[in-house]
Amino acid sequence: MLSIISLSLFGILNLFLGFLKSRRVLLPATLLFIALAFAANLLDWNHQYVYFRDMLRTNNLFINFSSIILLTTFLTVAISRSFGTDEEHTHPAEYYAIMLFSVVGALMMVGFENLIMLFIGLEILSVSLYVLTGSDKRSLRSNEAALKYFLMGSFATGIFLFGIALVYGATGSFNLSAIGSYVSGGPTTGISPLLYVGLLFILAGMLFKVSAAPFHFWTPDVYDGAPTLFTAFMSTVVKTAGFAALYRLLTVSFTGVYGLWWQVLTGVTVLTLLVGNITAVYQSSVKRMLAYSSVSHAGYLLIAVAAKTPQSPSAILFYSLAYSIATITGFAVLILVAEQKPIEGRPDERYEAFNGLAKRNPLLAFSLAVSMVSLAGIPLTAGFWGKFFVFSTAVDRGMTNMGMVLVVAVLMSVVGVYYYFRVIIASYLKTGDSEPIGIRPLYRFILVLTTALTIGLGLFPDVVRQLF
Amino acid sequence: MLTLILILLPLVAGLVVLGLQGRVIKRVALLAALIELALAVYIFYAFRPDASSQFSLRYDWIGSLGISFSIGIDGISLLLVVLSTLLVPLIILSTFNHSYRNPSVFYALILAMQSALVGVFTAKDAFLFYLFFEAALIPVYFIAALWGGENRIRVTFKFFIYTFFGSIFMFLGLVYLYFQTPGGHTSDLAAFYALQLSAEQQNYLFWALFVAFAIKMPVFPFHTWQPDTYVESPTPATMLLAGIMLKMGTYGLIRIVLPIVPLGVERWGTTALVLSVIGIVYGSIIAIQQRDMKRLIAYSSFAHVGLMAAGILSQTLDGLQGSLIQMLTHGINVVGLFFIVDIIFSRTNSRELDRLGGITQNTPNLTVYFIILMLGSVALPLTNGFVGEFLLLRGVYEYNTWLGAVAGLTIILSAVYLLRMVQKSMFGVRTALTEHVTDLNLSEKLVLLPLAIMVFAIGLNPNAFLRLTEPAVAQLLQSMVK
Amino acid sequence: MNTNYLPSDYLPIVVQLLAALGFIVGSMLVSHNIGPKRHSKKKDDPFECGIPTEGDARTPISVKYFLVAILFVLFDVEIIFLYPWAVNFLDWMKESREMAIAIFVEMILFMGLLLVGFYYIIRKGVLNWNQ
Repeated sequence: MLSIISLSLFGILNLFLGFLKSRRVLLPATLLFIALAFAANLLDWNHQYVYFRDMLRTNNLFINFSSIILLTTFLTVAISRSFGTDEEHTHPAEYYAIMLFSVVGALMMVGFENLIMLFIGLEILSVSLYVLTGSDKRSLRSNEAALKYFLMGSFATGIFLFGIALVYGATGSFNLSAIGSYVSGGPTTGISPLLYVGLLFILAGMLFKVSAAPFHFWTPDVYDGAPTLFTAFMSTVVKTAGFAALYRLLTVSFTGVYGLWWQVLTGVTVLTLLVGNITAVYQSSVKRMLAYSSVSHAGYLLIAVAAKTPQSPSAILFYSLAYSIATITGFAVLILVAEQKPIEGRPDERYEAFNGLAKRNPLLAFSLAVSMVSLAGIPLTAGFWGKFFVFSTAVDRGMTNMGMVLVVAVLMSVVGVYYYFRVIIASYLKTGDSEPIGIRPLYRFILVLTTALTIGLGLFPDVVRQLF
Repeated sequence: MLTLILILLPLVAGLVVLGLQGRVIKRVALLAALIELALAVYIFYAFRPDASSQFSLRYDWIGSLGISFSIGIDGISLLLVVLSTLLVPLIILSTFNHSYRNPSVFYALILAMQSALVGVFTAKDAFLFYLFFEAALIPVYFIAALWGGENRIRVTFKFFIYTFFGSIFMFLGLVYLYFQTPGGHTSDLAAFYALQLSAEQQNYLFWALFVAFAIKMPVFPFHTWQPDTYVESPTPATMLLAGIMLKMGTYGLIRIVLPIVPLGVERWGTTALVLSVIGIVYGSIIAIQQRDMKRLIAYSSFAHVGLMAAGILSQTLDGLQGSLIQMLTHGINVVGLFFIVDIIFSRTNSRELDRLGGITQNTPNLTVYFIILMLGSVALPLTNGFVGEFLLLRGVYEYNTWLGAVAGLTIILSAVYLLRMVQKSMFGVRTALTEHVTDLNLSEKLVLLPLAIMVFAIGLNPNAFLRLTEPAVAQLLQSMVK
Repeated sequence: MNTNYLPSDYLPIVVQLLAALGFIVGSMLVSHNIGPKRHSKKKDDPFECGIPTEGDARTPISVKYFLVAILFVLFDVEIIFLYPWAVNFLDWMKESREMAIAIFVEMILFMGLLLVGFYYIIRKGVLNWNQ
């Protein structure tokens, strides 16, 4: 709770820091703010609190999820450099503040106890992201992406809100546990059909936010158009918060109708895995490939949600952590490589831009390789254990239920190896003619840190898992 | 503890090598591999010939999941540890006449590969086994992809995807088995052996596990990655692949498939055995028609490994013992043959049988070694190949007379293609390419001499190895009957 | 008051809706179809007080207008919150003093945040028309 309040205040503070003459204080200040919020977050460890008449609930699960969100935000902010090309019109303070505000929204989505809170959190997060997506004001792509995201996003929000209203109509409450007792206790007249429709609408809205197929169509365009830094932010923080919310909603309120949403979710999972992975193969731009890969990872995470075993939250947590760290590394390297040789003023995000990277920048190539290997789920990286835990939940649920999903997931991880390794092949096995890229110390530190985390979690997953 | 050193030593040496420069790299790498060999020889002599797992070490790795870092050596492991520790120094020595780009990375990858291989052969925990199984893939992929021939990127990529495809199904199978273990779940292989699985479960599991190993070996029809990869890889990588890595597949069959899903083997064993036997005949027939020596040996390796798989799937003592000794034998022979092809290629710049000929006149030493290794592969009595193939054929014959008869063709067919290869390349009329071929130099002799000695040592005294593996194999077969 | 409405009770509304829509659509269609259509160059010209048209119909307007409009809506809406609050405040006061004070502090916080925002806008120079 303290983290939510402090982050809101820090965001406002950040706005005013922008009036200072020197902009150099902004980045360290923002990092400090996030670190403080992180620390404030940990204070509540092993305590359970409920705030504002059952609006928010903080417990260890909340702290775990919000720690991952704050960690990824920290990493994203640390690799931020400049926003846009012309110094005159950039507003770094505002962008940092908006990022902090959107994290507030994400934290509310993690800790909600009431559907209204979930909606408010989702909106805070989304509206901030609409702005961030369009933050490269001179770029047509960025503008287009922002408008697309806004239109589609508000449509999804509308459906989501409609769903909430229908569920309220059926149960007479916004409260999670009250809905839960209605659903599983079963009123004497039977469950109202409004609830089913409402649940489907809510699912559609949430699945849109985590970009699961068939609600994923915005993802590649928006991820591609947004400045890469914010793409990294979107594909990690939103996904973690979205899955935390989805899991919480489905397990607390709708356990009673598991048979219903399980079918929907497995269908969506299979579709997401197929669409995400197979489309990613045909991309020629690394950024778009990463966008589709983010769709496919939503599919893997959905497996753990659909399985709904006691191990599911820890599987989702570990997967989100591994995925976020690796994705941020990937995007961090992409930012540097793409900006080196712009084509017609636009960053060069094709696979060819990575040719010969290992020769010029061994560190960049190595962290990129580790992150790709982790995303592909190859052993001794964090991603492998993420996949392991996710698959475990499905096996635990039973092969008759999840066998089909598992076979698709396994086949699609092989497809995943194909496109992730294309980047490694470009950087290690092909030759390029570019100059070495200069890297700032902080950037270098973050790359080393994320790479070490990926390998460290691959060797000793228990260190983190004990907390989950 | 000794086992852990055996795994870690090459890895540490690899990291050291990574930081070195110049000529010293090769020597340090060789030295590390020789120390490793010395350790393995010590273990070989200190090993008590019974079914127990010795030199074991257990450390709770992921306690909350019951996954442990559990390693140990029993008779079956010992043979393969000896194989990999024997071959790696020879492979390193065989590169002394070459200069590869980025030598530090090259040798570090070879050593990392050895570490993973020893890990596979000594792991006693299912997930640890899987980790090493995958980890072995990455160094050899990079060796092949960085120092390989023209089509290396496409070919090695195919190889990587193919093997990853197989192993991820094995992974799924292992996760499933893990959840069948009672209580808080454990991934100890011993616990997997103790599971009472229904026949239906085993039917599915058999394929999930078998496919991974079948691709690695490879068994027909999962072999399409193999010839291209062997040909495009640089010779050290080919040696690693054919000499040691291929044995991960056969070892996995013995260690994982047979004891865990005996009913599955009973149900599908004949199908798999028929596939293996098809592989023998098919591989041999293609080998007969090859013009490229490296490709020819690749197909011969494919044929030989089919026989090994058949022997294991026959579930007889003779078949298993034969396949174990054949793993050792085949490793020695195939590494020697690939090395000789490499020597000829380095002198003449060609591997085409049609363009070679008459080499013997300048190179008595090379000819002698070539013929020794070739005869070993053909399984002439008193050479190492004979012991293995004899036991293997007996095992397959015991399982099914007709399959045994068809598998027996391997001896005739391998004689046809290997003799043809020697005759076409070494004898006959000299060509423009072979006019100035020089004989072996010292380092080449140092590689081939131990191999030739091993050909006869195993051929004359196979019992030195068989007696070590027999208790473990006998226990394995007994546990399958339960 | 009867609170149990059946769907059929909403029928009059539907009828009304359909009638309204029908009238609009119907009259548009009828006038479009039965009216005479004679095209000529003069008739098809966009006509503006007899002066020939010039330039684009969409003239750019300074973004400042939009900003002020948005800010107006923002602050206006938030002031609206004050009305129900103020009207009810006396009742709360009668009910429980502590609760009323807590609610008062909350409103102060809310207004404080608004003021901070207002200060930010001024510092940012949004209301400065000379820039």
